[in-house]
Amino acid sequence: MALQRDVIAPKDPVVDMSPNLNLPLSPAIRAGEFIFVSGMVAIDATGERMHGTVAAETRLAAMAQVLESAGSSLAKAVKVNVLIYSMLEYNNMNEVYREFFPVDPPARTVCGAKLCGGSKVEIECVALA
Amino acid sequence: MREILPVPSPGLDLRHHYGHHQSPAIRAGGLIFCSGMVAVNPETGEREHGTLTSEARRIFENLKLLLESAGSSLDRLVQVHAMIYDRIEYDVLNRVYRQYVPNAPPARTVMSVQIEAGFKVMLDVIAAA
Repeated sequence: MALQRDVIAPKDPVVDMSPNLNLPLSPAIRAGEFIFVSGMVAIDATGERMHGTVAAETRLAAMAQVLESAGSSLAKAVKVNVLIYSMLEYNNMNEVYREFFPVDPPARTVCGAKLCGGSKVEIECVALA
Repeated sequence: MREILPVPSPGLDLRHHYGHHQSPAIRAGGLIFCSGMVAVNPETGEREHGTLTSEARRIFENLKLLLESAGSSLDRLVQVHAMIYDRIEYDVLNRVYRQYVPNAPPARTVMSVQIEAGFKVMLDVIAAA
């Protein structure tokens, strides 16, 4: 039997990067037991890219909203990939990151990469539905 | 249940042609996990270097063959990691990309990295079986 596949529509459309930044992606897809969230960059209250320090860009409130719209949450994250423009900023990212996963954090990979659109941090995750 | 998907076309087996120690795709838990795909001729396995657009087209056509042979399709893509050689081509990627996933696109993260053999784009995908 084919696995069910659904697009997750965030309750607050501001966190949907697809229309706001004109990108060909869904904020998240639910497939079976898992929710796959697109790589998210920092956005402001209007949905535009927000450029700031690594610490400021790491705040995961928008990702939490996407997951909550799907009936999940950051606490149910299984795997997180963090892309960061420079590994020299690893600790600056980590300090904020740990606030969002205070206990039993998900599996995670961090790597230094060149990001699109001038963001310093981009974060994606897979969570349990 | 973990199952190696047979390739629908002989050129798509990079293990056979280039000695990559990987299976083209694995089906597990209702999902299909594909190895990173680059632009190769689906019949001969020859590399088809070109523009980012031509490489992306070839990859999507090959991905279509692979997924459809397993009873899935491009419409059932769940998550895509799109790797490009230079973020200056981000918009070029988006333009060709949206032609292949026009509706309810998968969750996506784009990153600029070094890709094997001088290719300009590689897609690493998960689809619902």
